[in-house]
Amino acid sequence: MDLENTKAQMRKGILEYCILSVLSRNSCYASDIIKELKEAEVIVVEGTLYPLLTRQKNAGLLSYRWEESQQGPPRKYYELTDSGRNYLADLDNSWQELVESVNRIRTS
Amino acid sequence: MKITVSINLGGYSFNIDEDAYAELKRYLRNLELHFAGEESSSEILSDIETRMAEIFRARLTSFKQVINIDDVQQAISVMGTPEDISDNGGKTTREKFSTPGYHRMYRDPDNRIIGGVCAGMGAYWDIEPLIIRIIFIALVLAGGIGALIYLILYIVLPEARSTAQKIEMKGDPVNIHNIKDAVKKEFDTVRKNMKL
Repeated sequence: MDLENTKAQMRKGILEYCILSVLSRNSCYASDIIKELKEAEVIVVEGTLYPLLTRQKNAGLLSYRWEESQQGPPRKYYELTDSGRNYLADLDNSWQELVESVNRIRTS
Repeated sequence: MKITVSINLGGYSFNIDEDAYAELKRYLRNLELHFAGEESSSEILSDIETRMAEIFRARLTSFKQVINIDDVQQAISVMGTPEDISDNGGKTTREKFSTPGYHRMYRDPDNRIIGGVCAGMGAYWDIEPLIIRIIFIALVLAGGIGALIYLILYIVLPEARSTAQKIEMKGDPVNIHNIKDAVKKEFDTVRKNMKL
């Protein structure tokens, strides 16, 4: 068994959920999302985020709009779509169940 | 003194040292290979380029107008190499990364004598092409059937042109690591030839 690998797999599983949760509060620019995920230590390198955002956008969970920025070219601001919100609500439930199940196993 | 190159990255124009340019180009090319199977891979790459442009801009001041190799390496460590991005936790990355290894027979243009058929068969079965050549010559001498077989194989087998095809020909899994190795080997051969 490889501890680093196990940790990486855990991170990978919850990353998608974390991105949607960050976006559920307000629409964000990719760098804002990265900052939060880095602080929470669920992401190691920024490059991981971009393919996930694009996949979620293609799946109709996110949409983006271009916004002017003072420091240069326009930026992509991502936000949840309605189907993204439903998806997130489902994930919220299963996360809750998962935490409870794991806790039950650990304490029994 | 150093030569600089002018590039357009994510809509910004940068002056970048030649060695830094080579490093950046290699990195972006590796990412491109990494995301090659992905739907909207060009969109992912352009997002990454935009972000790298931002990182570069933050490192430029009125005293430092040119992007150097340190800036590129720093940006790469922030964005992550393809290995980091796939995040498989170290050691096993290399195996997980590779697409299932295709093994196909090609004509080998690098070691050919006539059409590369025997060289390609040799590479496919990992035996000396000379042995196959001797068999073919024997078949040609024994009634000419060898020439017909050769002609058919020449028509049927595609030539291994790209690096990926050359790797497939030898049966290694096609991934970034051995494409890099193969390109480097080719580069070294060219350099050696030029010295001679």
